[in-house]
Amino acid sequence: MKPSLIPTAVNDPSRLEALAAYGILDTPAELGFDGIVHLACRLCDAPVALVSLVAEDRQWFKARIGFSLGETDLSSSVCAHALAQPDDLLVIPDLAIDPRTADNPLVTGEPFIRFYGGAPLRTSTGLVLGSLCIIDSVPRPAGLTETQAEDLRALAKQVMSQLELRRALNNRDAMRAAEAQEYRAREALRDTQAAVANAAGDLEATLYAVVEGAMRAVPAAEGGAIELLVAGELEYRSVRGTLAAHLGLRVPLAGSGAGYSVTMRAPYLMTDASTDPHVQRDLIGTLQLGSAVFAPILRGDVVLGVLKLQSHRPIAFDQRDLDLISLFAGAATAGLTEAANRAETRAKDVYWRGLFDRLSEGFVVGEVVRDLHGRANDWRYVEVNPAWGELLGFDATSVAGRTVREVFPDLEDAWVDEFVQVVETGHGASFTRQISAIRRWYEGRAFKLDGDRFGVIFLEVTQRIEAEKRRTALLTLGDRLRDLATIPEMTHAAAEIVGRTLGASRAGFGRIVGDVEEIEIELDWTAPGVGSIAGRHVFDDYGDIRSHLRRGDALVIDDVTMDPRTRDDPAAMRTIGIGALVNMPVRDRERTVAVFIAHDDKARVWTPEELAFLRNVADRVEVSVARVRAEELQGVLNKELAHRLKNTLAIVQSIATQTLRGVTERHLVEAFERRVLALSRAHDVLMQKSWTAAKMRAVMEGVLVMQADLDRFALDGPDLDINPQAALSLSLLLHELATNALKYGALSADAGKVRIAWRTEAGQAATLVLDWTESGGPPVTPPTNRGGFGSKLIRMGLVGTRSANLRYHPVGLQAEFRAPLAEVQVQTH
Amino acid sequence: MGQSRPPHPTYVLVVEDDPILMMGLVEFVEDAGCEAIEATTVVEAIQILEARLDIRTVFTDLDMRGSTAGMQLALLIRERWPPLELLMISSQPWDAAQIPARGVVLSKPFDRRKIVAAIRRFAV
Repeated sequence: MKPSLIPTAVNDPSRLEALAAYGILDTPAELGFDGIVHLACRLCDAPVALVSLVAEDRQWFKARIGFSLGETDLSSSVCAHALAQPDDLLVIPDLAIDPRTADNPLVTGEPFIRFYGGAPLRTSTGLVLGSLCIIDSVPRPAGLTETQAEDLRALAKQVMSQLELRRALNNRDAMRAAEAQEYRAREALRDTQAAVANAAGDLEATLYAVVEGAMRAVPAAEGGAIELLVAGELEYRSVRGTLAAHLGLRVPLAGSGAGYSVTMRAPYLMTDASTDPHVQRDLIGTLQLGSAVFAPILRGDVVLGVLKLQSHRPIAFDQRDLDLISLFAGAATAGLTEAANRAETRAKDVYWRGLFDRLSEGFVVGEVVRDLHGRANDWRYVEVNPAWGELLGFDATSVAGRTVREVFPDLEDAWVDEFVQVVETGHGASFTRQISAIRRWYEGRAFKLDGDRFGVIFLEVTQRIEAEKRRTALLTLGDRLRDLATIPEMTHAAAEIVGRTLGASRAGFGRIVGDVEEIEIELDWTAPGVGSIAGRHVFDDYGDIRSHLRRGDALVIDDVTMDPRTRDDPAAMRTIGIGALVNMPVRDRERTVAVFIAHDDKARVWTPEELAFLRNVADRVEVSVARVRAEELQGVLNKELAHRLKNTLAIVQSIATQTLRGVTERHLVEAFERRVLALSRAHDVLMQKSWTAAKMRAVMEGVLVMQADLDRFALDGPDLDINPQAALSLSLLLHELATNALKYGALSADAGKVRIAWRTEAGQAATLVLDWTESGGPPVTPPTNRGGFGSKLIRMGLVGTRSANLRYHPVGLQAEFRAPLAEVQVQTH
Repeated sequence: MGQSRPPHPTYVLVVEDDPILMMGLVEFVEDAGCEAIEATTVVEAIQILEARLDIRTVFTDLDMRGSTAGMQLALLIRERWPPLELLMISSQPWDAAQIPARGVVLSKPFDRRKIVAAIRRFAV
């Protein structure tokens, strides 16, 4: 072997590169080339023909006839010598003689070749890839004929044409494959992006989708994984392919390609693991790692881990693959970041929504509804919270989109006008208002939102308002009952107050007749459009409702069509407009004597507070009725008593005058008669108040008018209510004073007058001071004797206090009487 | 008391069912210088009135048995004998509308001065 004999052109890198570019070595036989060697044998009349391609270390035959070997090393190559003379045929008439081939094993041994004629396979750029040659087992001293040489050259060109064609086809296929690969990569990326979006921030699902997609996009990848950064290490997750067995494997940051990628926050192409500076040796064996690509995955600014694809082969990946997996890692980063943002937004939404939902106050977002002219006469529910539903008794989930007038057909206009006003002025408004259709009261505040929208936050205050109404009603009832004098007036007033307060359709008061068999209903109060049921009714006509009332229990029916006592025949109730009713019994001596009645034309639930209110009203009415009855009776008794008293006093007068018929001093008899009369006058005044009290001025006038015209007296003082003892005492005292004045004093003269003044003096004990001052009468001298009964009576003073100061001034008598006010005045409590 | 009695006495029909009160009423009539004719029932009073034409004044108690008998009598008299004067006494107040025309109601117990003055006034 003389390797030096091999021409240096063999090792020309550009030639080798050109050869490689044809991609012809080690490919199967092809008809085109086989046909050419066949023709070459025939044309050159040779047993052997070859298409020989000379590689760096061997010659390989694309086509051969008459030759058993598919390739040989270069020491056995004759064709290699063809490379040395690219421009023409290489013809060696006797290989055994030629120094370039004399030692060639194929010449010296089997198959003992002796002749070689080859045409160079030359590219358009002049590089020789090998030759098309014919070989003979006998020397041919004459070489090839001219024709044979021409043919061989032509065939060599044909081989080149075949090679060019083949290379063009190969290039086209490669381009198609690359395009297909590109397409697959794009598909995979799109699918991955969709999957990542679907994962909505779910880390496992996102990472799985990314590895899956990257594996699809990079065919060279045999295994894929996400190496997730956990506590300063990288943990294998979402393992696929050849890495499937390594789930949970942990590798250090320093000592792995992934670690390097994390540290650099950049993709990394590990061309050849065996020479890579960043990977630990033991890991290469564990993972069967030849080469790999890495790209970091971030969430926000935080590196979560690394997407890795690997192959057991070195140099399996290129820059394009690195770019691809960067795209996939980027998809994960984008997906996770967006999901994180969305989660944050959602968390905020959830927070506010939670507040909105948990609020015990009702909350409404409404939007004003306008007609073509922009006028607003309604508004639409945009949103309500669950409390809204509870506070209004409606399904809060179905109200959005409906208008308030749809939801509440008979709604008060203020519920619309005020909120429209809020929207139009921008000024918030507070309200306390009823939705009468549902009998509920609300208190709250409305405020403008954006555009035609407004918010309302409110609470139900029905209980408070109704409690206030009931309290006010009871106060009003107390006043009315006190002021009214007759029972029908009282029951009617109470019925009206009850009806209005409860928002009932009818209210009344009925007297029970017999053993709760019938009821006599007095003039009742009715809401507009509701008929009266005043008059007599038989209980049994209306259902089984007697027994409750007989026991003294309230009869409470929320719905006459449902209640077991009335449902069998509710028509009787319905025809007089009763949907719900309360009969509150009034008891007297263990018997139900009357009922207070409240009706509603619709079914309604009577609350315990309403029933307590009715009970209260019924009690008060009964107390007042009893009072009026007692007063009426008292009045009759008083009149009878007064009548008898006065008649008896008249008889006493008659007896006295008849008894004293023989007495010659008739003035004494008359004095007696008149004292009886004075006493009677005091009783007249007292009778007006059932002998409990009397007006001081009336008492005085009653007795003074017996003696003289009232214009002779000047009365000056507060008109006190005085007690019966004081009234009688005052009457008799004034009677005696006036009698004396008439006989001796001021009243005995035409111009004489008496001034009677009284006052109260504050002090340790308040005192009533009464002054009797005469004037205009004849000159006065004090009486010389102690006088009789009259004088004694005067000295006894008011209510027997003996505090009487009498001064007989010449111009007239002046007398002052004092008495503790407490003994004179009626004690008010 | 009797010194200025006119030559033809003035007759006053006193109607009273209580004998003690009758004594008192008769005394008032006599104090006034008139002649009392007594009737203890309404029926008797009407019979007297139907029988006699010289009665000038009827003095009746309104508080007789049957409660309203006195007032019924007064109303009857005003209707049948319009010229007669009516003096009535009562223990209870009467509305002016209930009292027959020209009638006077005085109260019990008696105010002798007023009663006597009224009888005298009617007697003139």
